[in-house]
Amino acid sequence: MKKEKKATINPINRGFLSVIGDDRRQSISIPLFAIILSILAGAIVILLFGKNPITAFVSFLQGSGIIPKPEYAAKKSILTDFMSMMNSLTPMIFAALAVAVALKTGLFNIGVSGQMLVAGFIATITVGYSHLPPAIAMPLVLVIGVLCGGAAGAFIGWLKHRFNINEVVTSIMLNYIFQYVISYFINSYYVNPVSRQSNPITAGRLTLVDVPAFGLKMDIPLAFLLTIPIAILVLFLLNRTRLGYELKIVGLNKSAAKYSGINVGRSVVTSMAISGALAGLAGVTLYLGYYNSIMPRTLTAVGFDSIAVCLLGNMHPIGILFSSLLITIISKGSNYMSSIMNIPQEIAQVITGLILLFSACGAYIRYKVAQAREELSDLKLKAEQKIDGEGGEKA
Amino acid sequence: MDEYVVEMRHITKRFPGIVANDDVSISVKKGEIFALLGENGAGKSTLMSMLFGMYEPDEGEILIRGEKVHITSPAHATQLNIGMVHQHFKLVENYTITENIVLGQEPRARILGFLPAVDIKGSDKKISELSKRYGLEVDPRKKIEDINVSTRQRVEILKMLYREAEILIFDEPTAVLTPQEIDFLLDIIRGLRDSGKTIILITHKLEEIKNVADRCAVLCRGKLVGVMDVASTSTKAMANMMVGREVSFTTDKKPANFGKEVLNVEGLTVKNQDGLTVVKNVSFSIKKGEIFAIAGVSGNGQTEVADAISGLLPSSSGKILLDGKDITAMSVRERTLTGISYIPEDRQAVGLVLDFSLSDNLALKKYFKEPFCKKGVLQEEAFDENGKKLIEEYDIRSGQGITTTVRSMSGGNQQKAIIAREIELSSELMIFVQPTRGLDIGAIENIHKQILAQRDEGRAILLISLELDEIIGLADTIGVIYNGEMLNMAPAETLTAIQVGEYMMGVKAV
Repeated sequence: MKKEKKATINPINRGFLSVIGDDRRQSISIPLFAIILSILAGAIVILLFGKNPITAFVSFLQGSGIIPKPEYAAKKSILTDFMSMMNSLTPMIFAALAVAVALKTGLFNIGVSGQMLVAGFIATITVGYSHLPPAIAMPLVLVIGVLCGGAAGAFIGWLKHRFNINEVVTSIMLNYIFQYVISYFINSYYVNPVSRQSNPITAGRLTLVDVPAFGLKMDIPLAFLLTIPIAILVLFLLNRTRLGYELKIVGLNKSAAKYSGINVGRSVVTSMAISGALAGLAGVTLYLGYYNSIMPRTLTAVGFDSIAVCLLGNMHPIGILFSSLLITIISKGSNYMSSIMNIPQEIAQVITGLILLFSACGAYIRYKVAQAREELSDLKLKAEQKIDGEGGEKA
Repeated sequence: MDEYVVEMRHITKRFPGIVANDDVSISVKKGEIFALLGENGAGKSTLMSMLFGMYEPDEGEILIRGEKVHITSPAHATQLNIGMVHQHFKLVENYTITENIVLGQEPRARILGFLPAVDIKGSDKKISELSKRYGLEVDPRKKIEDINVSTRQRVEILKMLYREAEILIFDEPTAVLTPQEIDFLLDIIRGLRDSGKTIILITHKLEEIKNVADRCAVLCRGKLVGVMDVASTSTKAMANMMVGREVSFTTDKKPANFGKEVLNVEGLTVKNQDGLTVVKNVSFSIKKGEIFAIAGVSGNGQTEVADAISGLLPSSSGKILLDGKDITAMSVRERTLTGISYIPEDRQAVGLVLDFSLSDNLALKKYFKEPFCKKGVLQEEAFDENGKKLIEEYDIRSGQGITTTVRSMSGGNQQKAIIAREIELSSELMIFVQPTRGLDIGAIENIHKQILAQRDEGRAILLISLELDEIIGLADTIGVIYNGEMLNMAPAETLTAIQVGEYMMGVKAV
C-alpha cells in the first residue's frame, strides 16, 4: 500500500525541480521565483480593488520610463521618465552595497540612513553653499561623502571593537543623534523659510537638472556612471583581495580569524568604514543629486529599503544592481500607476513588501527543492531495483 | 517475542549521495545496556535518530514492545517512553534546571485559585526527589549558564527520566567529559539499568563498552557487522570488527634524537578572560626532535598554556623564547611566521572557517604571502594548487574536492585538513591540543603516525591531551599540570601511567 502511494512524485514538485532544481543557478532562479510569486500575489490585491492587474503592471513600467506612455507633456518623453528613474536608482544602489559589505563581513549596518544624512549635510554646507566651479565641486562632494560616511561607519565599528557594543544598537542610536543634531543646525542656520527645508545648494549638484537635449528637458544623474564600476569594485574587494578575505573570515568566525593571525578589531572598524563610505556616496547622490536640499527631522527611507534590496539581490553586488532597478521601477512607477488606475499609490509598497517576504523564503524554497530532488532520486533507485529484480526472476 | 523492547528490522536510510544505514536489524532486550559501536560516519547516530523520530526510515520497520510503530517526531517517541541525550545538549541557557526539565510538560498551578501558571516550586521539589532517587545530584534552581558540562548532561538525563522514559538513548555521552566524570556517568548508567531501564549507548570508545555494556552491535559503513556478547569478546576483536581490518594498539616509536633547544618557557603566568590566574609560574623547555606532553585533567590550565605560547591569550608575566628569540610580546601572526604551528583544541570553532571552501581553509595561515597574494590581490590558482596538493598528500576526503564547504566534511577529515595545513608551515615548534578528540580509531592511528613523523624530522612538539594512553604512547617527556601548576616533569620512560594519573589528580604534591 505504502509503496504504491509513494510511486508517483507530486507533479508540483516535479515542476519545481525542472525550473529551479539546478544548484548553480539557484542564486538567480530563487529570487526570480520569489518575484513571480509576489507579482501574482500583487495581482490578487489589485483584483480585489476591482482593477485589471495587467494594466496596473504595465503602468508601473510606463511610469518609470521602461515602456512608452500613450501621451506625454511638452518636453517630456519616455527618455525623461527613464532618466528620472535612474536618478532615484543611483542612491539606492550605493545604499544597498553599503548594507551588503557589512552583512558579508558579519555586521548589520542599519544606520545607512544616518550615515547618508551626515555625508549629505556636511557636503551641503561645505561645498553645496560655495560657488566652486562644477568640475571641482562635484568630485569634492563625492570625496566628502565618502569620508564623512566612512568616518561615521568607522566610529560604529570602533565602538563595537573597543566597548563591545552591538553595532545594531549604536547605529540606530546614531541615526537619532544625527537626525536631531543636523535638524538643529538646519533650522538655526540654513533653513529656507518658504520650503521649510535647508536652502537649495548652489554648487556641486551631482544631477544635472532640466538639461535641454533632443528637444526635451531631462535630468542627468552623473553619479550613475559610478554605480556599475563601484559594484564591480566591491565584488572584487570581497572575493579577490586579501582585505576582503580577512574581513569575511572575521565575519564568519572571529576565533578562527584571531587564530590565523588577523587583527580582528581593525577588521571590524575597516568593514564598517567601507560600508559607511558607500552609505556616504548614497547620501551625497540623494541630497546633492536627486534632491538639492535636506528636509530637517527626517531620515530617508532609502537607507532602510536598501536592506531589503540587498537581501533580494542575495547580498551580491551584481545582484544588487538588478534588485535596485526592480524596486526603483516599482516605487517610481507607482505615481503614474496611481493616477491612471485610481488605486492608492501605497500598493507599490505592498508589492515591494511581498517581493521581500517571498525572497526571505529563499531558504525554505531551497529546502523544498532539495527534498523533492531526494524523493525523485529515491524513486529512480527503486524503479531500477525493480527492473533488476524482475530481470533476475526471469533469468 | 516480547522480551525485546526495541526491534528495528531491515532499516535502510539514504541521504543524497550516501546510504547511511543499509538493511540494519537490531533487537534490544528490556533492562540491558546495548552498545552501538562504530567509527565516525558508520551510521550509529542516524539509526538512533530514526528510533527517536527525527527521521523516518526509507525501508524497514520499528517495533516497540512488540508493536509495530511509525515514529513521526521526537514528541511521539517521548509518548512511547523513548528518551535521548544528544551529543550536543539542547538546553535553554538562561533558564533554571527545573525550567529546562519541565519545559513542554509544565505542571499547572492556579495563582489565587484562577490564574493559570507554571508550578515552579512544586517542580523544584519533584526534580530534587527525582535527582536523589537516581543519584544525579543537581541544584534545581541553578541556571544552565552557571553549571558545567557534566551537570548539564545530568540535566539532560533528568529530562528523560521526568518524561518517564524507559528506553534511554545516549549519543556519545563521554565525548565531553573528563576521566573521573566518565567513571561517574558510567556508574549512573549502570544504576539506571539496575532500576529497570533499557539503555542504548552510542560510542566509539571500546573501554566504555567493555566497562558497562551487556551486548554490543558493530556498525561499519552503514552495515551491521555483528552483534556480540561483551563479556566474551576481546577489545581487540571488537576494534577489528569496527574498523574492518587489523588495528595495532601500539605505535612504532623510534628512539629519540634530541637536538638544540627550540622552545623555552620561563615562569609563564596566564589570566583567563575572567581575570582568574589559570597558569601559575610554569617553566619548561622543548628540544628539536622531542615530544613534550602535558598531561592533566581538563580545566587545569593546559589549553591556556598553548594559547599563551601561540599568542591567542596574553601572558601576564614570564617569558617565552622561540629559538632564542623573545616572542612574549609578538602578535599571533608574528609568532606564526617565527615558527609556530598550532592545532587547536576546538577544530570547528577555532581551527577552521566552516563556511569557507577546503582550499580557502588550507591556506588560512599563508594566504597573505606570495604566491597566494600578490599586491593585495588573491591568486586563485595558488589556492587551488595548494589545496589539491595537500588533499593528495594527506588523504583528505571530501565530497567535491577543494571546493567542498568544510562544514559538510566529517570530523576526522576536518582534523586532517588542519594538520596538513599546520605541517606545511614547516614550523620549528608544533603545538597539538587534543589532536584526536572525538575521532575514530583509524583516524587516531593516522594522526599519531603524523605526530611521530614530525618528531623524527626534528621538530619540537608540544602535545596536550586528556587521553593518558595517548600521552604515554607518544611522549618523550611528560609534564603534569594540576591547578595551573606544573607538578612534575620527567622523561616518559621513568613514569608509569598510574604515576602520571596520580599526579593528574594532585595526589602527589611536590
